[in-house]
Amino acid sequence: MPKIDQSVLNDKESIVRDLKKFTNSINIISDPEGITPYETDALSAYKQKPMAVVLPENTAEVSDILKYCHKNNIKVVPRGSGTGLSGGALPLADCVLLGLSKFNKILEIDFENRCVVTQPGVTNLSLTKAVEHNGFYYAPDPSSQIACSIGGNIAENSGGVHSLKYGTTTNNVLGVEIVLMDGTIMRFGGKKLESEGYDLLGLITGSEGLLGVLTEVTVKILKKPQSVKALLLGFQSVEDSGQCVSDIISGGIIPAGMEIMDKPLIKATDNYAKAGYPKDVEAILIVELDGTESEVNILIKRVEEIAKKNKSTYLRISKNDEERLRFWLGRKAAFPAIGDMSPDYLCMDGTIPRKKLAEVLKEITKLSQKHGLRVANCFHAGDGNLHPLIMFDSNVKSELKRAEKFGADILKYCVKVGGVLTGEHGVGIEKRDLMCEMFNDEDIQQQLNIKQAFDEKSLLNPGKVYPILHRCAEGGKMHVHKGDTKFKDIPRF
Amino acid sequence: MPEIYSLSSEHEVADFIKNCNSEEVPIEITGHNSKSIGRLIQCSKSLHLKNLSGIIEYFPEELYIKVKAGTPLALVEIELDKKNQELSFEPPDMGFLYTGQSNKGSVGGAVACNLSGSRRFRAGALRDHILGFRGINGKGEIVKSGGTVVKNVTGYDVSKLITGSYGTLVALTEIVLKVQPKNEESQTLLVNNINLKKALNIFSKSMQTSVEISGACFYPAKMSKFFKLNDLDTTTSITAIRLEGPKISVVERINTLKKLFDEYKKTISVLENYQSRIFWKNTTDLQFFNNSKNIVAKIILPPVNTDQFINKFENEELKYVIDWAGNLIWAEIPENDSVLLRQLRTEVTKLAGHMTIIKAPNHMRIKEDFLTTVDENIKVLSLKIKESFDPKKILNPGKMYSGI
Ligand SMILES: Cc1cc2nc3c(=O)[nH]c(=O)nc-3n(C[C@H](O)[C@H](O)[C@H](O)COP(=O)(O)OP(=O)(O)OC[C@H]3O[C@@H](n4cnc5c(N)ncnc54)[C@H](O)[C@@H]3O)c2cc1C
Ligand SMILES: Cc1cc2nc3c(=O)[nH]c(=O)nc-3n(C[C@H](O)[C@H](O)[C@H](O)COP(=O)(O)OP(=O)(O)OC[C@H]3O[C@@H](n4cnc5c(N)ncnc54)[C@H](O)[C@@H]3O)c2cc1C
Repeated sequence: MPKIDQSVLNDKESIVRDLKKFTNSINIISDPEGITPYETDALSAYKQKPMAVVLPENTAEVSDILKYCHKNNIKVVPRGSGTGLSGGALPLADCVLLGLSKFNKILEIDFENRCVVTQPGVTNLSLTKAVEHNGFYYAPDPSSQIACSIGGNIAENSGGVHSLKYGTTTNNVLGVEIVLMDGTIMRFGGKKLESEGYDLLGLITGSEGLLGVLTEVTVKILKKPQSVKALLLGFQSVEDSGQCVSDIISGGIIPAGMEIMDKPLIKATDNYAKAGYPKDVEAILIVELDGTESEVNILIKRVEEIAKKNKSTYLRISKNDEERLRFWLGRKAAFPAIGDMSPDYLCMDGTIPRKKLAEVLKEITKLSQKHGLRVANCFHAGDGNLHPLIMFDSNVKSELKRAEKFGADILKYCVKVGGVLTGEHGVGIEKRDLMCEMFNDEDIQQQLNIKQAFDEKSLLNPGKVYPILHRCAEGGKMHVHKGDTKFKDIPRF
Repeated sequence: MPEIYSLSSEHEVADFIKNCNSEEVPIEITGHNSKSIGRLIQCSKSLHLKNLSGIIEYFPEELYIKVKAGTPLALVEIELDKKNQELSFEPPDMGFLYTGQSNKGSVGGAVACNLSGSRRFRAGALRDHILGFRGINGKGEIVKSGGTVVKNVTGYDVSKLITGSYGTLVALTEIVLKVQPKNEESQTLLVNNINLKKALNIFSKSMQTSVEISGACFYPAKMSKFFKLNDLDTTTSITAIRLEGPKISVVERINTLKKLFDEYKKTISVLENYQSRIFWKNTTDLQFFNNSKNIVAKIILPPVNTDQFINKFENEELKYVIDWAGNLIWAEIPENDSVLLRQLRTEVTKLAGHMTIIKAPNHMRIKEDFLTTVDENIKVLSLKIKESFDPKKILNPGKMYSGI
């Protein structure tokens, strides 16, 4: 992490006093107890109290605060709802933590232009709630959607189960208002389909709070499909389920969602959620299709044929929405189910080419033996996003270390087969030191140069995402102890 | 005339640019010379990437294709077609506009210009379909970003920044594009003889149903004549809505729309698959401005402002076609009418939109801005980004903005 600036810490009192000039003093928290809730995001293995927390109420305040911090060389860490899984919103000891929770109003619902203008602190799900009376919804649906903020979604380019067909956040954002570290207020995009010049909107999306603070957001909304149905398929081998996924896609079908679970996970979730999954299979595959009624019916038939060709030994088609949701029940219970089976677990988040699934799972099994730890796997099969859940017990000496090494080995293997380190959780602090697995010094330096263009003093969320060059080590862990996780009521995918 | 360097490998390009960087020699980068887009630049060296060509890998079931940047788009499309796939952002064939002949140019050129066809409002722009790239920055360093997988949040999404940068940040050497299955059936619902306001209303209404339209354009009467399709009435204005997917679903959705727009039933007709595909290809490829000698501009507006914009210029010498369900206006104005051009610029900015000049005579390309960016902060930030890739500003200098 960047070196702590002792002179800033020494000035804490006068800094806090100064900050009161920019926003209502009740928006500034600096007592040890008050700042405790902000010491970590959902990657709770890492904790650090910030110097002070500021909760500004409008863009002008954000701009003033940033200008002040810029001038006085004070680090700033932006924070939405703190559901991030890679430590992106982890404070630094000498930083001002800038919480966007008071930016919680939807500003405009524009059905005519099919978009919503909102403040960034609004939760993902409340966007959908605000437009569903007219049959619309906001497509990207991370499973943290009831808690995570839309600003955080843009910062992380969050995705959900439906991203294969409907894209991730980046494909659904039309515009932002953003404040740069020096206080400059800018707008990229807007209520129109494209901007001119460099695609600054595209760059900002997924930049993990390193380039600017989002203060307003315009997103696209879509009309809900007429009909949604799902198939629950069982296979005697993971290879068959993977091949089935490939054949569905080469058959010209893009399902709304496709999920694979392996045997350890089926067993775990069945004990936990009683979802009624078949027990005598090695893998299950859920395929969800949407569109008009007749289109969905045709596609269901085609998927059924493809599944049979791939030796599926179990096949059910949802008769109604209730049954469809029951298919998802076990999948949604995957994380807590593992939490029930093991005192601790790490959740990995690599993406791989779909066709490598069987190979990667074999390797994970091998690594599991090598590191002497159990693992269960779920897989956003549609877009290749793999979540191995590594089980361990932090009370047993060395198990955490072993689990971390295991996790890093998995991510390295993902990169080796042509995949990437993270599909949706972000790099943050967690995978920072693995970045060299994917990028060489020149690539990383180029990205650091981009950062410089936005934030020349590197004061905004420093120490995240990019390793200090030549210091690549091992990392990669979302640690969950005794199911004692932040946001534990939220289903995890 | 600039000295031309035709290079065919990434390391040659890197060495070449490294040398130019150390000698501070600006370079013009070209693919297939299909898009004389942007400000005219004067360089003593011209780097041609036409020979940096070839498909590196194509995995239909993984939904991506990786190619060298100079690969002809046309070749890519032929390969995809064999597997019943396509680039769903429908890259326009700009050759028709510039020379009256098909020339889709290179994949690198397409990415550098981020041009997308009629399906854009449904399927996204080219920038939504780029998964990764390799390229050479202004220092001669090979830089890369992204990968071959759809879900990837490892580091900044630099691929997006590169897309639409008109060759001012890197000389692209390798590109990964997302591909999609081809639609089985395409049909187009036509409404003849209504005004733009009504057409926009039809677009908006259709988009508020779950019918999933994938094309929506409007040809005023004076523009519809260029079509030569049997089933098309070209004596009046044409409002067209495209539906794609499995045939039975398309038919069903067409019927839903027919019912919804029952008030127009006397002038409603349907273009079947074959003619429907031609109709949209002609539209995406701007064939209505074939080999134009005039100024052609791409105007993007929030669709609610489109009618107001057009009304303002109704009596001027403005030829236009509306696409992207009202988001996009393709406009053509006489080459020497700089007053009208200025008026368009002012109005588009007032209505929260922007305008990009896609084609202009060379004398204009030297002095006129081809973008309408007015925000000084954006220009300052853009300059810093330019310098972060190309500190000596040797790659296509001045192509985007004067100085960038
Ligand atoms: C149970 C659970 C399930 C999850 N499931 C998914 C999933 O399915 N898919 C997925 O993609 N993610 C998932 N996540 C991760 C997380 O919810 C997302 O990354 C989310 O987008 C973070 O939003 P947030 O508001 O909580 O951001 P925070 O955690 O507060 O911040 C995340 C990052 O964004 C930055 N940031 C936040 N707000 C702003 C702003 N206004 N301006 C600039 N930068 C900002 C922060 O600095 C930080 O780097 C899950 C998390 C949990 C706890
Ligand atoms: C000898 C010569 C004479 C010329 N005369 C004229 C003239 O009279 N009038 C005129 O208007 N123009 C002229 N040009 C300029 C040239 O036609 C334009 O610069 C054209 O836009 C080049 O792109 P393209 O159409 O070949 O490639 P396209 O593939 O269509 O490229 C269009 C855009 O993409 C960029 N690009 C292409 N490939 C890459 C890549 N791999 N990496 C990064 N960026 C890329 C280009 O720089 C350009 O910005 C001339 C060029 C040369 C070499």
